[in-house]
Amino acid sequence: MVSEQALFRLRVRYVKRGRLRYLGHLEVLHTIERIVRRAGLPYAVTQGFSPHMRVSFSSALPVGTASRCEWFDLMLTEYVPAPRALEALQSAAPLDLAAQEAAYIDVRSESLTAFIVRATYEVSIEFTTDVEPCALNRAISTVRERKALDYRRGRKSKRLDLERTLADVSVTWNDARTATIALETRLDNDGAMRPELFIAACDLLLAGEDYLGDPPRLDIGPYDYRTIKRVVVERVAQEGERPDGTAVYPIRCADARA
Amino acid sequence: MRVEYRDRFSELEPLLSHVEKPSRYIDHEWGALSSPDAQHRVCLIYPDVYEVGLPNQGIAILYNVLNQQEGESCERSYVPWVDMADAMRAAGVPLLSLEGAAPVASFDIVGLHVPHEMAATNYLEALDLAGIPILAAERGEDDPIVIAGGPSVYNPEPIASFFDAMLIGEGEEHIVEVALEHRRLRDAGASRSEIVRALAKIPGTYVPSLYEVCHEGPCTRHGYTVPRAGEDVPSVVYKRVVRDFGATDPLSQSVVPFAQLVHDRLSIEILRGCARGCRFCQAGITYRPVRERTADQVVSAVTRGLARTGYDEVSLTSLSTTDHSCCSQILSRLNRRLDDTGISVSIPSQRLDSFGVDMALEVAGEKKGGLTFAPEAGSQRLRDIINKNVTEDDLERAARAAFEAGWRRMKLYFMMGLPGETDDDIVAIAQLAERVVEIAHEVVPKGQRGGISVSISVSVFIPKAQTPFQWCGQLDDAEVKRRQKLLVSSVTSRQVRVHYHDADTSLIEAALSRCGRDFVPVIVGAWKRGARFDAWTEQFDLGIWEQAAQEAGIDLREVSQETFGLEDRLPWEHVSPGVAPGFLQREWRRALEGKTTSDCTRTSCTGCGICPTLGAKNILVGERGE
Repeated sequence: MVSEQALFRLRVRYVKRGRLRYLGHLEVLHTIERIVRRAGLPYAVTQGFSPHMRVSFSSALPVGTASRCEWFDLMLTEYVPAPRALEALQSAAPLDLAAQEAAYIDVRSESLTAFIVRATYEVSIEFTTDVEPCALNRAISTVRERKALDYRRGRKSKRLDLERTLADVSVTWNDARTATIALETRLDNDGAMRPELFIAACDLLLAGEDYLGDPPRLDIGPYDYRTIKRVVVERVAQEGERPDGTAVYPIRCADARA
Repeated sequence: MRVEYRDRFSELEPLLSHVEKPSRYIDHEWGALSSPDAQHRVCLIYPDVYEVGLPNQGIAILYNVLNQQEGESCERSYVPWVDMADAMRAAGVPLLSLEGAAPVASFDIVGLHVPHEMAATNYLEALDLAGIPILAAERGEDDPIVIAGGPSVYNPEPIASFFDAMLIGEGEEHIVEVALEHRRLRDAGASRSEIVRALAKIPGTYVPSLYEVCHEGPCTRHGYTVPRAGEDVPSVVYKRVVRDFGATDPLSQSVVPFAQLVHDRLSIEILRGCARGCRFCQAGITYRPVRERTADQVVSAVTRGLARTGYDEVSLTSLSTTDHSCCSQILSRLNRRLDDTGISVSIPSQRLDSFGVDMALEVAGEKKGGLTFAPEAGSQRLRDIINKNVTEDDLERAARAAFEAGWRRMKLYFMMGLPGETDDDIVAIAQLAERVVEIAHEVVPKGQRGGISVSISVSVFIPKAQTPFQWCGQLDDAEVKRRQKLLVSSVTSRQVRVHYHDADTSLIEAALSRCGRDFVPVIVGAWKRGARFDAWTEQFDLGIWEQAAQEAGIDLREVSQETFGLEDRLPWEHVSPGVAPGFLQREWRRALEGKTTSDCTRTSCTGCGICPTLGAKNILVGERGE
């Protein structure tokens, strides 16, 4: 038995990229737990009928979406210097799911899911033909002006509140066919932005169609895009927020115990 | 020209977001081996989806030993689920290996695992997706040599035409010999027919094309298989037994999957073989003799394996783990070592006596889900016929001990359609389950009795080759359905739930178990009509098989239900696990007389003939209790 005070809370950032972006959320969770055990770290376990590792994660990433900023908090029963813990985690993980940084935070800090309220995505798009920048801008404005995105999940109709979840959109063109769209999003208990849904809506508008309908035409994917050849979505930042609205990085938010 | 060995993942990747569970196809798992620049390559295929195939220990063992060989590389492949297979065909992507994402057809040897009869159409699905002709006779010099092996090769005939060679018995030494011999012959420029003839010289290797089916003399309608005139091949191919089981590495798993599997855990094979002698059981004959690993070896393999893989569960596997003479010692040592780690130990099934419950208690800790026992038959008379040496008393004691120890749910496995079975035996299944509920009510405190549940799961008996019941026909499927109804109506307690196997699937399984080479066209015909993944209830379609059988002029019911004569030569007698035919006949007669036969690891030799035939013997590391 270890009292809560004697535990150490290690916060770790890891990536999800390459082929491993096709892992489902539960598959990632189980793999991280196996990485922790292979790393030989002194992880804490819950008490009770079915003891399991005390580890918690930032919110789920859809299958196929990459990330450079996934997070987990791991409770340890012994203090292991953070650089050494990071090294042990890296040597026990495939490169495409490897830890990138680790630091101790206050054991009483709020959970990752409560802390993280902002997520930034970069969507790299390759269109099938040249696209006028103003056409894409028009499509984006149209979707945003409608303030909500209706879509289907199985047989259920769902509504994504764009006003609340989408803070900013910016487009950078590499050439006439390839662009990177950056999406600044907000997340809370009521929902989070789904970048692919937003892109699918723009795609239909660019093709001269519309996604409105009853039931909604859009669903949670996968999509057969009309104007797009290839899309890669990557989560590039997950942060907290101060009362004044400025961003807070997850491991500088609390006092590092090391 | 052989198909080129090169990475074609970029062709597969666009399909990934359109199929369920893309992690089945992405590879890059922790612990994957193989060396892309090896001189000789083998691709082992499990004939089902990734998450069913990955935990297979046989493939894990062979994957390890092949990759340890200088100059050899072994990769894996699985059968893409129907959504992916269709997408691959539409996109023109062939079946790829996992590690190198290279076409399966580019390998020197393609090895298919033979786990059970219902995988038959999936061999064809895999070969066809790979672009390899499904029939050995149609393969050319550029095609890989297609081999097969696994637990279900003891009637090889219905699937014999699909393979260039079949490896009978334990493969860890055998497959290396086959790979090295093939490499030598390939490098010497040998032709396909020279290669298979040379492989047939390696003990335990059955090369179907060098044999033919004969109908002379007393035999079943399927005939029997003999060497073709002029071919210098053995008339009986005996199974291979590994020279020294105790010297092999018990830790065979290296690959840790991302996907969540059916059996998602570390497995350590703590013993091989079972000598209990249940007369319906094929594995009970084909895995003999019994060989145990020492407790030290098991404990150290578990420790190494957990550190290497990071699993949170370890299963001590075998046909009858609680029969290990040091089972109790192994479990208590592991429990001490794994205390406070959240890692649990499991054993695959429980022996039906109070010792079995004690062992279950060792592994359960505070978490007591359900406990599973296999009485197999409802009445003592029928249990004696099948040689399931379990008495009513054993059962009552086990049930009492389990409920006293805190379990509330119990699952009981039975078979239906056993030789000599009457309606009374069916009713006895229901009575037994209700007796267990009664015991539960005696033992469980009043407030907790609502949680009591006994479920009975009843499969249909399938007569298997190389068992004392190999001459029996399967019970008529209409009669199976009647007895299933009788069972359901015989259960009165609301705390007993009845599950039974689909009689349609069992009909095909029986046909595949009992037919000869004459069944090849039925499998091909069924696959051509869309049959695949027949082991999946939602994919299985009896209608397809009936059409295919009709076209081939075979009556499925007739072939699965007819009784063979004891004097008949059988379709599978040229492939042997070493059992003396006289022993099987003697066991059959004893079954008819209701006489039981004891376990040779607890008493003296019962004369099955396997040890002398194979030059092997039982190896126990301690004394086995009663």
